[in-house]
Amino acid sequence: MTMPAVFLTLALILLITMAAGLARIVIGPTPADRMMAAQLLGTSGIGVLMLLSPALGIPALIDVGLIFALLAAVSVAAFTRRRVGQDQA
Amino acid sequence: MNLILLIFDAVLLITLLALAAAAILSSEPRRAVMLFIAFGLWLSLVWARLSAPDVALAEAAIGAGIGGALMLAAARRAARRQATSSEEPS
Amino acid sequence: MGEAQIALAINVISILLAVAGTFFFIAGTLGLLRLPDIFTRLHALTKADNLGLGLILLALLPHAPTLLYGAKLLLLWVLVLIGGATGAHLIAKRALRGDGEDML
Repeated sequence: MTMPAVFLTLALILLITMAAGLARIVIGPTPADRMMAAQLLGTSGIGVLMLLSPALGIPALIDVGLIFALLAAVSVAAFTRRRVGQDQA
Repeated sequence: MNLILLIFDAVLLITLLALAAAAILSSEPRRAVMLFIAFGLWLSLVWARLSAPDVALAEAAIGAGIGGALMLAAARRAARRQATSSEEPS
Repeated sequence: MGEAQIALAINVISILLAVAGTFFFIAGTLGLLRLPDIFTRLHALTKADNLGLGLILLALLPHAPTLLYGAKLLLLWVLVLIGGATGAHLIAKRALRGDGEDML
């Protein structure tokens, strides 16, 4: 087995793990659980992209991974934001 | 290698369709927004698999990131308005 | 030790690191699905975020085609470390304050 095939196999395993983690978004009892699941989805998505990049021979995928990392932080911040004086109730 | 790619594509597509159905059929706004964010991330993976890193970049930035953050704010505002108008904690 | 042995050793180390990273992701997802309350789930999540992705990026580092690519891999790890730690802290604080349920 060559190295790209090994990376592709690991990417497939990670993809199946991601699909299993989606169950937490669907059932998650609180919104915080759903947000955590979305964060794990983003991180393992970066893992899949980085493993796909040598497997498919597209080096530009690392830029997509950087955007994933930045926007996971943005959506967590948007999720936990409270407006002063209005969210106290 | 080809077989692995085939399984990869099948998992990618089936989960994409399941996510889209779950996001549309969900009745509660916050859950729908979370599922929409997950759908954007997953669609970005599909674009990456189709060798279109530029489209994947735009999808991750606009669809999942900015759109998701805006829709989260809109969903929380709608939930607050509903809670104050009907005076029952949702 | 010739070129071939060094290349083989790098490949073996790289595969081991990538498998270890994937294992951390699987363990983190299992923890997210099976653990009982929100703080234990957060604990499982941060392990997968920081260590799993770090090991995978470390495994890909010897295969980087250019120096800039390798630098971007390291930058990606640093970004995920900072963003993951900040996000986990925010979610934990939100859950601890007890206002996580206000707009379910």
